[in-house]
Amino acid sequence: MASTKGSAGHFTILYFAAASTFTRKTTEHLPAPLRVRDLFTKLNDTYPGIKDKVLSSCAVTVNLEYVDLDDDDASGADKEIQAGDEVAIIPPVSSG
Amino acid sequence: MMTQIIESLRQQIGHHEAALQDLRQQLAKAEHNQQQQEKVLRQKPKLSNDPLDHDMNFGVPDDFRSEIFAILDQEPSADNSTAEERRWPLEPHEYKRYGRQLIMPEIGLQGQLKLRKAKVLIVGMGGLGCPAAAYLAGAGVGILGLIDGDVVEESNLHRQILHSTARVGMTKVESAMVALSSLNPNVKLVPHTARLTPDIAIEAFRDYDLVLDCTDNPVSRYLISDTCVLLGKTLVSASALRIDGQLMVLNNPPLPAGDAQGGPCYRCIFPKPPPPESVVSCGDGGILGPVVGVMGVLQACEAIKVLTQKPNTTTSPPTEPPTLLLFSAYSNPMFRSIRLRTRKPKCAACSAQAAVTSEALNSGSLDYVQFCGSINPIDALNPQERISAANYAKLRSGVNPFTGTVSSRDSHILVDTRESVQYELCNIDGSRNVPFSAVSATRTNTSNGNYDSMGIEEPLWVQNLRQQPDKPIFVVCRLGNDSQMTVKKMKELGLDYGGKRFIGDIRGGLRAWKETVDHEFPEY
Repeated sequence: MASTKGSAGHFTILYFAAASTFTRKTTEHLPAPLRVRDLFTKLNDTYPGIKDKVLSSCAVTVNLEYVDLDDDDASGADKEIQAGDEVAIIPPVSSG
Repeated sequence: MMTQIIESLRQQIGHHEAALQDLRQQLAKAEHNQQQQEKVLRQKPKLSNDPLDHDMNFGVPDDFRSEIFAILDQEPSADNSTAEERRWPLEPHEYKRYGRQLIMPEIGLQGQLKLRKAKVLIVGMGGLGCPAAAYLAGAGVGILGLIDGDVVEESNLHRQILHSTARVGMTKVESAMVALSSLNPNVKLVPHTARLTPDIAIEAFRDYDLVLDCTDNPVSRYLISDTCVLLGKTLVSASALRIDGQLMVLNNPPLPAGDAQGGPCYRCIFPKPPPPESVVSCGDGGILGPVVGVMGVLQACEAIKVLTQKPNTTTSPPTEPPTLLLFSAYSNPMFRSIRLRTRKPKCAACSAQAAVTSEALNSGSLDYVQFCGSINPIDALNPQERISAANYAKLRSGVNPFTGTVSSRDSHILVDTRESVQYELCNIDGSRNVPFSAVSATRTNTSNGNYDSMGIEEPLWVQNLRQQPDKPIFVVCRLGNDSQMTVKKMKELGLDYGGKRFIGDIRGGLRAWKETVDHEFPEY
């Protein structure tokens, strides 16, 4: 696991469950600022296929707050991720 | 022999359980009769011709009268204990059994009475349902409904703590009932020994106050959530895989669809089901026992909180914002609590525009399987690219079933695509491990740019296979799915040199290998 202490100008992204399996990471640092709607594209560049295979059904949080990506007027997607923020990619886990 | 013993044990248990049930009914009847008798006895003096009765009813000075009343009241309680029992809201054994939670302000007498009145439904008696049910039965929930259509398997036992080695083969619901009734015989258990389906969901849920989702697949998660919204029931939902767990209390408060003050439902949080090929079961992905145990225990905890919550007081905020609790056993911190959204304005289940209705559910017009998608058995290769385990075994022993020529285990390459942890558990002698995750991560010319154009080296596993261009490649995996995808990938990478080299997979994977060739090969 990488250091959780972010470098300047970066935000921390946490990968849970299937997102962690796909990226083979639990966390990493990405350059800020970045709009939430651009996050998926950026991740898909780094991890080809992740958008369709994982991200499409995920919940996304910024600083432990759920970001609404699905509604038509989703203001969440325009939210800008700032340096020092903690973003989490949370796929639905259904097994038990 | 063993099966006979198991069968006879099961029959014996059945008889004993029936006998017990009968005894309990007799006891309840006897207790009831006794109480009725006491009542009559107690009333008797007043109904008699005792002159005192007359005085009591038609004129005795007030102070004298209250004194007599006090004496009369004392009498029966001094003589028999049953009348005294009724002075307390709980039975004596309940004070003892629940004493440790009764003395806490969070529960107290009122909380215990609420628990005793509560009817809780647990869907799924696996890794989540077992600990959840154990703690709810222990806490004295009045009625526990248990739904599951599965049978106890040996591979369940490291985490499904209500089941036991002796009960392998029994239905999970029956096995859980044996454990739960010995834990707390005061809890009424209601068995539903079948898988939950849309057509029975509303009937099955109707009589309960609270539902716990302890299931293991997306289809049931959406179905359970929708049913809870339709019936106005709060849902405690949890899941676990490998080292991760999730917990949410949904539809809390359980207000009618369209009421924005109600709690969000599962669809609000996860409107899109995960792609079916990305859904991993505990059987495929693995699960650490305590991880799923923690999540089940937390479900029981949330259930107790919901069931015993006090009417809104001025000190507590009206409703806590809903949260998603994430548990990651190997992370630091292990727990993260995410503040969730409110109800989604266009939610298909709990908004004013909801498409999910009771009629749709009952009639079966809501196709949850279609909504979540399903994966057909992978059939990516043509028959010439596949070989049965038996034929592959013959090939290893010397005769090539295709050419009839004699070959040996060195004349070809056997690639095992399971992840290295599984490969280390057991493997076919002479095979080499190329984990499927490495195969998937390898880019081909058809995807974004090839290795030449990007100026970086091919992964080692590809280089190694290029070094022996004349040897046929056989690919094997656990069940025969990943192996097909790997064969395709190898051909895309040009490892078959335009068809000059044979590349194919072993149909049915190592499961078939165990069944038809090497019966001692470990099954896990």
